[in-house]
Amino acid sequence: MNEQRRQILEMLAEGKITADEAERLITALERSQPEPPPAGATGPKTRPRYLRVLVTWVDDTVGGEPGRINVRVPLQLLRAGVRLATLVPPQALTRANDALSRSGVPIDLTQLKPQDLEELVEHLEEVDIDLDEPSSTVKVFCE
Amino acid sequence: MIPQLVTIRHRRDGRVRRLYIPVVPLLLVLSPLLLPAVAASLITCLFYQVRPVRALYALGRLLWTLPGTRIEYVEGRTALLVSVR
Repeated sequence: MNEQRRQILEMLAEGKITADEAERLITALERSQPEPPPAGATGPKTRPRYLRVLVTWVDDTVGGEPGRINVRVPLQLLRAGVRLATLVPPQALTRANDALSRSGVPIDLTQLKPQDLEELVEHLEEVDIDLDEPSSTVKVFCE
Repeated sequence: MIPQLVTIRHRRDGRVRRLYIPVVPLLLVLSPLLLPAVAASLITCLFYQVRPVRALYALGRLLWTLPGTRIEYVEGRTALLVSVR
């Protein structure tokens, strides 16, 4: 049993999600994960194609109703987005730098180069964030 | 490939509304607006000192990579799903 399936079942057992939601999540999981290669087969490792952000919580203020945010974004879309960000005119970047400095974030956006952003997205493929709290979970990963 | 279908599903208090937006037919319907849109974009690019070709390429890439995007929000009896295929 893989890690994501186990977590869905755990959330179901803890009552964070309903059986219907668990079934939908598992179906989505199976759809997003290709069949494992047969034993002995040595193929190239498939690169992740999507960035997934999965947040679940139970809001006690509204009678313990569960909530869920499930975002799937193609990594190619992130690459295209950072390319678009490189088109931001220099005067806008200067104003953004000033605003960031005033907020205590001294980042010089004019120093960001397209290749740096590309590299950033490349390394995003290895990101795996898993936060577990009694009433909420947050997972960020690539698949 | 450019997006073919955008699906928006909204559920509130058990009532579900679905909206299917076929992108290509919609673009065809809106094509008469293409010329003024291109002119406005060109003027905007010149005003902000952005190369129009680069901007067009970046926007095209963004559009091309949209399929596969899926955003789902569920809270109690309210749910919203936006899916691009």
